Amino acid sequence: MAALRDRIRTLLGRRSDPKTIISVQNDRRLVLPATEISQFALDQVVPFTFYIDTPMTVTVENIERMAQKLIDKQRTHDLRVRYTAQVRHKTEVPDAPGHYTLRLREAAVGAVDFGVDRVAHVSVSEADSKKRDAAVAKLVADIVAKEERELREKKGARRALKYAPEYSVTFTLLNEDPVGGAAVSWDIEQAADIFVRPFADTLRPLAKLAVSTQILHHAGPPPVTPLAHDNGTYLTPDMLPHFANSPWWNLASTDPIAPTISFILYVPALRSQPLRIEGSSTNAFVVSQWGGIAIANLPGTEVGASVVISRDELQKYFGIFIAQLRELVGIRNDTPLIPGTRVSLQRATATGISSWELDALMRQWMVANHQTAITTLQSLVRLVESMENMVVMDEIKVQVDQSLSALRSIPQALSSGNQLLAFELAANASYFAEGAFFDPSMVSLLYFPDQHKYAIYLPFFLPVTIPLLAAIKKAIRRDSPQNDSKPDVPDDKKNE
Amino acid sequence: MKLASLASCAANFVFVLTLLAVASGASSNEEKVTQFFEGSETHTNNWAVLVCTSRFWFNYRHMANALSMYRTVKRMGIPDSHIILMLADDMACNPRNAFPAAVYDHPRKTIDLYGDNVEVDYRGYEVTVENFIRLLTGRVAADTPRNKRLLTDDKSNVFIYMTGHGGEDFLKFQDSEEINSYDIADAFKQMWEKQRYREILFMIDTCQANTMYSKFDSPNILSIGSSKKGQNSLSHFHDYDLGVSVIDRFTYYNLEFFESVDSSSKQTMADLIAAYNTSLIQSDPGVRTDLFARDLAKTYLMDFFGAVQNVKLTTEAFPIGKSK
Repeated sequence: MAALRDRIRTLLGRRSDPKTIISVQNDRRLVLPATEISQFALDQVVPFTFYIDTPMTVTVENIERMAQKLIDKQRTHDLRVRYTAQVRHKTEVPDAPGHYTLRLREAAVGAVDFGVDRVAHVSVSEADSKKRDAAVAKLVADIVAKEERELREKKGARRALKYAPEYSVTFTLLNEDPVGGAAVSWDIEQAADIFVRPFADTLRPLAKLAVSTQILHHAGPPPVTPLAHDNGTYLTPDMLPHFANSPWWNLASTDPIAPTISFILYVPALRSQPLRIEGSSTNAFVVSQWGGIAIANLPGTEVGASVVISRDELQKYFGIFIAQLRELVGIRNDTPLIPGTRVSLQRATATGISSWELDALMRQWMVANHQTAITTLQSLVRLVESMENMVVMDEIKVQVDQSLSALRSIPQALSSGNQLLAFELAANASYFAEGAFFDPSMVSLLYFPDQHKYAIYLPFFLPVTIPLLAAIKKAIRRDSPQNDSKPDVPDDKKNE
Repeated sequence: MKLASLASCAANFVFVLTLLAVASGASSNEEKVTQFFEGSETHTNNWAVLVCTSRFWFNYRHMANALSMYRTVKRMGIPDSHIILMLADDMACNPRNAFPAAVYDHPRKTIDLYGDNVEVDYRGYEVTVENFIRLLTGRVAADTPRNKRLLTDDKSNVFIYMTGHGGEDFLKFQDSEEINSYDIADAFKQMWEKQRYREILFMIDTCQANTMYSKFDSPNILSIGSSKKGQNSLSHFHDYDLGVSVIDRFTYYNLEFFESVDSSSKQTMADLIAAYNTSLIQSDPGVRTDLFARDLAKTYLMDFFGAVQNVKLTTEAFPIGKSK
């Protein structure tokens, strides 16, 4: 009966191919490990390891205990993700994320100077060893608790882009009006090589940046006209949101999936120069999750000249672009501690991102990917269970299994101190989970209303069923016991 | 002497007070600027999905509906990269078009909707129910180009506009298949599961349009339909040169309202809905707000129809390349 039904269904399917809504591709349905997925917890423990390098006497166990107590005290909510601190003596320090060296020395005033690599130079003023331990413990707790707090508060999440394995970064030079001004070009290849490539290389273990550049020569006026001032023109803050919306500026990307980050260096028309942004000293602004714009006023250009923005001039603009790129990627300027009188941070002028900042970004993305992978798998299970006639093909089960095995390995990687491996596992888990959820085969016929069922099956079965039922009724009546009492006597015999 | 010293004291005091006042004034101005940028939790990008599902020459008006919505949305600032335009047939280059390469929505032919800058993403036979569902849920084939993907995230406001021939709980695609309200409701549910939208404005102009949004149950969806169950949505102008109706009433009166709106407008959805005149539209437009969290009087039109971007001034450059 089932085979007959299937055959009829395929027959119907073929006959009404352009008419079916969404066809069921395969009549197999694999079982997903639903219970295991539902039990996966979002909890994580991320350990930091600090190595003390000092000639002075310190008790690392005390420091670790005090630091952990302080971190727990500063945790105001019950977080699923907990950061912990381990403190060791300096032995072989692996140059890996999560392992930091604190070099202590005596000084008159307590201060800390964070270097570009994973080292902090700490000046301790306490003579008493117990007080010294307490001071170091407080420093460790401040670093760890600050990052945990930022993870919870998700500040700047509105501006920064989500994690993606590849970003497509475009640098565009927009010349509003070369006819009334000068033709502009820029020494971009050299500049990108010096300013952007080190940043991209440093970020490479986390995400790939695909950089491209272009020049738009006749960009045309922006959607908002700048207001006139005695010396040039200016833009007010409420005009800025509409500034990058011109339909004539071709900033579209051809990459099908990678999120785009667009940076525009805008050269205004000569009549609008110098164009300033009210309240800004840099004449630049960031557009959330989209990119950044910097305005390049080129004083002293003559009409009809051909200007090349040199590498040295570009250094100023790329300083702005790198600052904006850091913000869009999710790097905070006050990593690992807010700079102040006692705290100084060294800026990574060579690459644009220091190791402390890179590690913080990596941990932030690892936690986000871990959560995405788990919630995506749970959504997938909900989806499959809610639709009985949805197919689940082999590839999907394979991807789910790969995602689960990556998720299972993360706690081990974290506890052994390998945060980079944990990040890669989380990224893989998220990638496979999303691949399974967004697989093109997961689209199925949802709603087959009863009226449609009657309308399709009735014209086939009704003309056949009526004579069939009549024949069955006649056969039953013929064979039934009632008819035994009334034998089927032919009429001529009855009338005898 | 004492009086002089007292006077100088008082003068100093007043000076200090004015200094404080000026300082606080300046800081409050700065506060206003920072407040403008930080703002409240809101969307950061806008998308529009405009679908015309009818083919054939006599359904010219559905194409004109979709194209005029496209024009409006572009005028308000949504870029082409964030608009998915699905047109089931080509009216501009149709052999029966007496005005080739032009599509008009008014007999006076003042605006050519099919002007210089039209980017159609799904055209002709690509406009199918399956492609529409795939677009919304994100389950497109791996080789789909970027302009055919809906790359929204949890901070996107999506405006979905559908027009064509429809009936109770269904909408006809290409004269050969139908999508029903359960499918759209499920697609929205999938989108919410995967956080592919922040808020959706679903506008539909077909016969019995209000039935299409009756099955939604995902949060943050505001739905507007052109006519209720059992009612037809009517066309508006008939053009005697082209020989067909060029626009539908509901869409026409929406566009008329938008003529007074520009990208800096502060008008709200409540204004738009209050401007619907049942006797002019000749059907009963419906609005479904129970899934929508915000008050309509505080929901700006620009939240859906425009693309107001979230900006922040860059205060300092990074010292890249500067050796210490």
